Amino acid sequence: MLKSKTFVKKTRSGGIMKIVREHYLRDDIWCGSEVCTECKQEETVLQKDACIESNLCSFPHYLLPDTNIVLSQIDILEDPLIKNVIILQTVLQEVRHRSAPIYKRLKDILHDKEKHFYTFTNEHHRETYIEREQGESANDRNDRAIRISTKWYSDHLNNTPTDKRLKVVLLTNDRGNKEKAEESGLLTYRCEEYVKSLIANPELVDRLALTNDDKNEITSSKVLFPEHLPLSRIQSGIKSGTFQQGTFRASRDNYLEATVFVHGEGDDSTEVLIQGLQNLNRAVHQDLVAVEILPLNQWVAPSSVVLQDEGPKEDDVTEEEEAELKSGPSGAASRKPTGRVVGIIKRNWRPFCGMLFLSQIKEATRHLFTPADRRIPRIRIETRQAATLAGQRIMVAIDGWPKHSRYPNGHFVRSLGSAGDKETETEVLLLEHDVPHQDFSQAVLSFLPKMPWNITEEDMAVREDLRNLTVCSVDPPGCTDIDDALHCRDLPNGNQEVGVHIADVSHFIRPGNAMDLEAANRGTTVYLTGRRIDMVPELLSSNLCSLRSSVERLAFSCIWEINDKAEIVKTRFTKSVINSKASLTYAEAQMRIDDANMNDDTTKSLRGLNRLAKILKKRRIEKGALTLSSPEVRFHIDSETHDPIDLQTKELKETNSMVEEFMLLANISVAQKIYDEFSECALLRKHPAPPPSNYDILNKAAKSKDMVIHTDSAKALADSLDAAQVDGFPYFNTLLRILATRCMMQAVYFCSGMDSDFHHYGLASPIYTHFTSPIRRYSDIIVHRLLAVAIGADSTYPDLMDKHKQSALCNNLNYRHKMAQYAQRASVAYHTQLFFKSRGILNEEGFILFVRKNAIIVLIPKFGLEGTVFFENKDKPSPKLIFNEEAPSLTVEGHSFNMFDKVKVTISLDASNVQHQKIRMSLVEPVISGVSVAPSEPEPEVKRAKLDR
Amino acid sequence: MATVQVSEAEKVYILHGVRDDLRVDGRGCEDYRHMEIETDMVSNTDGSAKVTLGHTDVLVGVKAEMGKPRPMVPDEVHCCFAWKFEGRGGDELGMELSNTLYKVFNNRYSVDLKSLCISPGEHCWVLYVDVLLLQCDGNLFDAISVAIKAALFNTKIPKVHISEDEEGGKEIELSDDPYDCMRLNVENVPCIVTLCKVGHRHVVDATLQEKACSVASLIISVTHKGTVTCVRKVGGGSLDPESIFEMTETGKRVGKALHAPLMALLQEEESLGKKRQKVGFLG
Repeated sequence: MLKSKTFVKKTRSGGIMKIVREHYLRDDIWCGSEVCTECKQEETVLQKDACIESNLCSFPHYLLPDTNIVLSQIDILEDPLIKNVIILQTVLQEVRHRSAPIYKRLKDILHDKEKHFYTFTNEHHRETYIEREQGESANDRNDRAIRISTKWYSDHLNNTPTDKRLKVVLLTNDRGNKEKAEESGLLTYRCEEYVKSLIANPELVDRLALTNDDKNEITSSKVLFPEHLPLSRIQSGIKSGTFQQGTFRASRDNYLEATVFVHGEGDDSTEVLIQGLQNLNRAVHQDLVAVEILPLNQWVAPSSVVLQDEGPKEDDVTEEEEAELKSGPSGAASRKPTGRVVGIIKRNWRPFCGMLFLSQIKEATRHLFTPADRRIPRIRIETRQAATLAGQRIMVAIDGWPKHSRYPNGHFVRSLGSAGDKETETEVLLLEHDVPHQDFSQAVLSFLPKMPWNITEEDMAVREDLRNLTVCSVDPPGCTDIDDALHCRDLPNGNQEVGVHIADVSHFIRPGNAMDLEAANRGTTVYLTGRRIDMVPELLSSNLCSLRSSVERLAFSCIWEINDKAEIVKTRFTKSVINSKASLTYAEAQMRIDDANMNDDTTKSLRGLNRLAKILKKRRIEKGALTLSSPEVRFHIDSETHDPIDLQTKELKETNSMVEEFMLLANISVAQKIYDEFSECALLRKHPAPPPSNYDILNKAAKSKDMVIHTDSAKALADSLDAAQVDGFPYFNTLLRILATRCMMQAVYFCSGMDSDFHHYGLASPIYTHFTSPIRRYSDIIVHRLLAVAIGADSTYPDLMDKHKQSALCNNLNYRHKMAQYAQRASVAYHTQLFFKSRGILNEEGFILFVRKNAIIVLIPKFGLEGTVFFENKDKPSPKLIFNEEAPSLTVEGHSFNMFDKVKVTISLDASNVQHQKIRMSLVEPVISGVSVAPSEPEPEVKRAKLDR
Repeated sequence: MATVQVSEAEKVYILHGVRDDLRVDGRGCEDYRHMEIETDMVSNTDGSAKVTLGHTDVLVGVKAEMGKPRPMVPDEVHCCFAWKFEGRGGDELGMELSNTLYKVFNNRYSVDLKSLCISPGEHCWVLYVDVLLLQCDGNLFDAISVAIKAALFNTKIPKVHISEDEEGGKEIELSDDPYDCMRLNVENVPCIVTLCKVGHRHVVDATLQEKACSVASLIISVTHKGTVTCVRKVGGGSLDPESIFEMTETGKRVGKALHAPLMALLQEEESLGKKRQKVGFLG
């Protein structure tokens, strides 16, 4: 039967279009129930004995939720307890339209065989299809469609001869809908009613999202926040310029302060400061908000005070703290544009990891939840299992933030495990940094090559056979995903041939398939201490793509002819087959080079490479490439317990820089090649020059030692950094370089068609890309594909040549790389804590890296560890502090601290807050009475006082 | 235009018949053949109608699109709309049809142009009328004009309203209820009556055979009040002023008589709403 669906819509150009779609109704859509004898279905989804202990429905029943239930209570539906649910097509479509993430979760449930969720395509069923009537809104029509389908199901199931007890229960929170459904004799409950009736499983109630009705009960009538403006007002306000639109970023250190990053036209973006609970107006980190800029006389300066929301303050405005906040520097110069949030354009809530902060009242069911991310406010949740959840890491979702509630309301999603447990902590770390770390799905794995895998005749036919070359790889110890190998040999004409061979990952990952999409989404492999989250399945990363020794592997080679002065005579790229002769570590390679007794081919090759690399490096540095340093920490992990037993900063050998040098060379050669070939859609990497103001801190630091750092160009910076030496203070130069690193901008991927500035500041190269690590970076896969097309080794596909799609991909890659870095740092920090936990309290020497208003930040070179020494203490009267912003210096009780001063500190682990365990440093030397502590193990009382703050 | 070959004897027979007010198919000189009208035939137009007159079969679709009014339109009328007729089956026929129809309908009295105005000087509805000839058995103009009138009657234009923000920027908003639409007032839309001079008399709704016997015909467009809005002579022969006057009078009379039952019929069909049995193209 044919029906047509007609609707009118507005086109983007402003026209109005009438759209007619054909809509076919069928009579062969089955009900999916096991009991049904009428339907000729092959497989059934809904079970015969759909029993769940409920004091409302004692009979077996199927649930049929309406759209709003699915949207708000997806956590309930995800619970393994809830089975035998009918999801109508109407509901599915509406969910898809309203929320993509929830749609995805619903689809996942539908695919899960254990859950027995059935999609009933009621819109195409002859008996359940309805047309919209005159004067009926789209929502009313859908509600009616849901009722009609429920009715159909109950009648249909009643017709079955076997079991007449089976019923369908409609779940809806909409009062009108419920009444109408009851009128037509349907069994209808509100979601809360139903979930609370499941007496055998009371824990499910915790996962209920709070709906509007419930919120009223919880909160007092006192209105704490101004009303949010409706979207239409916001939109017209933004258009007229009275409001600005931007991303809300809460401050990590001060819960009463935030900035809104307003994207202007072009590069013209500003940051608007928001201060005070009222002005923040319930915006949560990462929300898209509308702000109103306050008049100039109300502008303030960002406070440099560290403020944390402590304890559950029940709905009282913390005037005291706000007063403290405002007492910041009032110098007109430091004032920034200040505004207030008038409305929320789009919430960006996700489930948050954190811990429960138990209510002091025993038997209370409402508790505050403290998220691990300090930028997220505490969330009030209702739970009956508080006792069990205490001490566990849990996930909580926000449901809403009414205007008379101090904290947002939320509900419990799931427990991640007990706090302090390494597994749990890693899980939290990954979730908080949005690192996709699930196991690869079957769909992804299905695209793996079949084992045993061999290089076929066809492969050999199109590839250059380089198996006879003396290729070797040099990597850190324990590396299983080897993506680069090198060779070097003399040519008859006196020149040398150097080859960089990169694993040919793009041979295995074909564009557009599930594995490709997954890799594109992950963007990068994430290396945590003691764990690696792969971008591509392990079979590829550690086996088929990994250029291990003595096996034949596919490679993408970049081969140069280089003369004696390390100048490139000729460059060529080719797909090849190689057979690596040795997989060396940096140390092993270094040993071979240094050992005069070794004269095999591999060693000779290494020596040749090393010689050329030194010339290349020298030339690069002459051009102004920066060598910055940032202490990298490495753990010695106990093989049994996987706990760190020793900690040291990574040491760099000559061979490290040898490999690096050739990788840079390959990347630059490839970047040039793909840009020449595809000027519009080459994926490149750039590193913008930092704005001069970024160097302020570096200049001030140098001035304190009577030195001048020239920052007008990369070359000048590199030269003046080299010149900056202080006698008897060898670490000074490193410190300065660490500071310089902090001044730099982030390097980013971009699509050449979308940008004009390609320069890579740090490497002093006019063009750069990533080619050499396709196993762990998706950008390299794209570059491989581009290069393969450029040399005619592979075919192209539309998305590769679409600069907008490329650009979108770059954004994702940049985001993933950033998050991966944060996750790595967090992982190092966590393991550092574990290390110090096992080592107890240590006394170490360090240098002052930064001076703050109430603290100094100290770097311990031995551990590459950075920590903060606070001079203010809640329990004690704070010492006299004088902060000089210009120098910068901080004078504590007469002793002044300058940058780079040498201090001695005790390091201990502050475990008072399980969620935010941190390294606590306290001053030992210089001795300042009332501030510094005794060098050896401090007495317990003193220690506790320190820890409790 | 499609022609048939008629022998001398047939011609004499037809001429004599007309003289005696009895035509080959038994009609009088001022009678139309059996006419069938069905509206809402094509769902992706805003209004459509199919008219069958004898074996002549035409389908008309009306599409409304948003457009800009032409600047040279007189001040008092802020809106305008263009008719585009695209004939099929020969450029010449197409040209002739579209020229004639343009003359007949493109004036501000046929349809209330103000109702098509969205915002003066900026937006208006432009109506596009597509005519499709399915079969031709004489008297195309009359059939087309009836079909156009029926299609315009059937036309449902989605309601829009202009919202204005503080800055004076205008935004067109579309009602999300598909039933919420505007109808056109088609009362003044004229119908064409084609009169063929056969011998000394004239006939309406000539068949192809009668047309072959005629030297000239007069196309007269008449409103429901009997106002003649356009007169046009087609064909190779000449007409004397006297018979033009006579023919115009007949045209007025016939035209008036055509409008009333047409409107009644359209209204009746409309009132049936969704219950109406659709006939479609195969019925």
